[in-house]
Amino acid sequence: MAVEIIVMVKQVPDSQEVVIDPVTMNLNRSMTRNVTNRADENALEAALSIKDKIGANVTVISMGPPQAETTMIECLARGADRAILVSDRFFGGADTYPTGLTLAATISKIGKYDIIIAGEESSDSSTGHVGPGVAEFLDIDQITYASNVDYEDGYVIGERELEDGTEVVKVPTPVLVTVLLNSNDPRRQTLRRKIDAIRKGFEVWNIEKVGLPPEWVGVRGSPTIVRRMRSIKEKERAGKKYDLTNLGELVKELYEKKVLKMEEE
Amino acid sequence: MSEFDAIVVGAGPAGSSAAIKMASQGLKVLLVERGEPPGSKNVSGGILWGKDLDAILPDWEKTAPLERYVERKVTSFLTKDSEISIDFKTKKFEQTKTGYSVLRTKFDQYLAKRASQAGAMVVSGITVDGLAIKDGRVIGVINEGDTITGDCVILAEGPNPRVAMAAGLRSKPEDTDVAIGVKQVYKLSEAAINERFNLRQNSGFAGEYVLSYLENDIFAGGFLYTNKDTISMGVVINIETLRRDGRTHSYDIMEQFVQHPFISRLVEGGTLQEYSAHFVYEGGYESLAKPYGEGYMLVGDTAGFSFSNGMILQGMNYAISSGIMAGETVIEAKKDNDFSEKSLSRYMDRLEKSPAILDKKNFAGMNKVVWSSLVHRAVPEMLESSLGMMLYENGEPKKHLTDIMMKSISSTELTKKDLIMQGYRLMRRM
Ligand SMILES: Cc1cc2nc3c(=O)[nH]c(=O)nc-3n(C[C@H](O)[C@H](O)[C@H](O)COP(=O)(O)OP(=O)(O)OC[C@H]3O[C@@H](n4cnc5c(N)ncnc54)[C@H](O)[C@@H]3O)c2cc1C
Ligand SMILES: Cc1cc2nc3c(=O)[nH]c(=O)nc-3n(C[C@H](O)[C@H](O)[C@H](O)COP(=O)(O)OP(=O)(O)OC[C@H]3O[C@@H](n4cnc5c(N)ncnc54)[C@H](O)[C@@H]3O)c2cc1C
Repeated sequence: MAVEIIVMVKQVPDSQEVVIDPVTMNLNRSMTRNVTNRADENALEAALSIKDKIGANVTVISMGPPQAETTMIECLARGADRAILVSDRFFGGADTYPTGLTLAATISKIGKYDIIIAGEESSDSSTGHVGPGVAEFLDIDQITYASNVDYEDGYVIGERELEDGTEVVKVPTPVLVTVLLNSNDPRRQTLRRKIDAIRKGFEVWNIEKVGLPPEWVGVRGSPTIVRRMRSIKEKERAGKKYDLTNLGELVKELYEKKVLKMEEE
Repeated sequence: MSEFDAIVVGAGPAGSSAAIKMASQGLKVLLVERGEPPGSKNVSGGILWGKDLDAILPDWEKTAPLERYVERKVTSFLTKDSEISIDFKTKKFEQTKTGYSVLRTKFDQYLAKRASQAGAMVVSGITVDGLAIKDGRVIGVINEGDTITGDCVILAEGPNPRVAMAAGLRSKPEDTDVAIGVKQVYKLSEAAINERFNLRQNSGFAGEYVLSYLENDIFAGGFLYTNKDTISMGVVINIETLRRDGRTHSYDIMEQFVQHPFISRLVEGGTLQEYSAHFVYEGGYESLAKPYGEGYMLVGDTAGFSFSNGMILQGMNYAISSGIMAGETVIEAKKDNDFSEKSLSRYMDRLEKSPAILDKKNFAGMNKVVWSSLVHRAVPEMLESSLGMMLYENGEPKKHLTDIMMKSISSTELTKKDLIMQGYRLMRRM
């Protein structure tokens, strides 16, 4: 029987979408588009390389709004065999607790799983709770922050980078692994696979299909209360330009503003 | 049997229009775009003269993401200290709103979505690597080593058509056939835009400028268009003069335009949102590539169907119309199941009767005249000094207009012979 791998992916606003203003050299974030969380691309790649080696089945799951469809098609176009988008208005506004619960319930409904792979964290909320949360709900072992994942005869071998070396852990399946951002080089989507993916489509599961009561999920199932949000103001720049052939002027001004100090002071 | 009736490479206005036309007639169409979503590679915006869309999207004026309709058109000469303009406003544009400002990211995404709704398979986030060619016939496209077959391939890659060039279907444009376009988008409030440009709700401003203050004999034009709460502006720079100078960067020219005393006050307080630079094709009729062959057609900028008068750039309209004509040609070819060069030459028959080609023919050699010292130096200088003399009361007795004009002409660097020659050429071409 083929090894069953489940990969958890989240669609996030693109944090790479920054344009550098060539005049002021400021970063500027315009029109955000949605992309697959980058660490989750690494999670999928880890799954696909195991598939390359032993011929596993790779299923991708995501909880999110309908526009996450592009992420589903993208994962199929990279080589996943099946994609399930868990989407229902009841799931909206979830904090990490019901997110983990919903994903765990989805995985139980899928039935057989040997390896579950998640990213270390999302780029938009960055809690890193969801992977370990799912492992706890399913009551299985977990390997976190892995830089490499391998499979051998019923065991997952994970490498973890520590300050003073690499820790290699070998855990019997089923096991959940969270992988580091940039821990591998995700393969590209291909046109052939993308055409096939669009033709084949992906599954959308609602709350009935996942089989959880509405009060356990989404906003209602979220214990966190956000008290207050603060946005950080960008400091205004004076926008003054300096003649770089006359550094003396700049140095003098920095000295006067006490940014620079003379040696003897 | 091919997998698709037609494969379209690139979901800009040309590619999406072709796909909409073909898919709405029930053809099996694959539209491949490297940006995810479509439009994400095409920043900034421009003025869309969208009349051609009526044929494929009768409801476009109600459903497309249009910013403002053009109510006020300004053509100006900018000298170091002055702006001399023709400011044309008309209520007529209110009824026939054919010119609209658009932001490409949104507009391209809209068109691609319409192609998908019409039944085309739209695959974004994928770059076509090359063409599959068998016995001298284009039979499909290649990506990551896989071939996807189509009876006809429509190349709509835009101004830098790598795939078409690699397959030898188009040559690399000559320096004299391209200009550099630099674009920026500034965010401002809707109220500020309405007030500064004297506009209402949906009405918009389109300004085109000859930048005659530039030093080192560089020729460039500028444009500035209002969107709902942003301003698209940019410069179009003559490459030959820029290369000859060698010291000035295209960014400097953009910067000087933004800093011009009468331009800076229009964008004052705005924040820069987007910035991009492109090569733009402005070659004439002679330098057009043959836009069809065995199993393929070239549309939009890939075929060279854009037009520039040194200030404005127009191309979306030709992109749309050429896309539709290519689509119609495929529909006919499908009926006969004949995608040979001869069958696809019906595309050329259509083009010959359309503005995409006729504008090029009728304005042949236009850019040689436009990129001239007459337009970029002599006329603005002359206007500035004669208007200065005419309009200001300086306590001296009044002079006749002809005296003023002659005096201004003699103050420019051009000889009278040059002036007559260039003036005559310009008239002939207009
Ligand atoms: C401004 C803001 C404030 C918030 N405040 C809180 C708060 O205080 N407390 C709180 O609990 N939540 C809060 N949330 C919501 C929450 O953080 C997340 O949106 C959501 O629960 C997922 O957590 P994460 O993004 O941190 O994922 P992480 O735990 O960082 O993600 C790790 C991995 O889990 C997987 N994963 C995560 N989400 C999904 C998904 N939807 N589908 C499939 N796989 C997934 C991916 O593999 C991912 O790489 C807040 C959200 C926002 C935007
Ligand atoms: C500064 C500037 C200002 C302009 N202003 C105006 C204006 O105001 N009005 C106007 O009408 N026109 C204007 N134009 C011209 C206009 O932008 C073009 O004529 C028009 O975009 C051409 O459309 P197209 O569909 O042929 O190509 P494009 O719009 O360039 O679209 C080509 C598409 O193909 C995709 N692509 C390319 N290669 C591949 C590949 N190998 N695989 C998959 N996808 C690929 C690209 O990502 C892109 O989406 C301006 C141009 C510039 C540079």
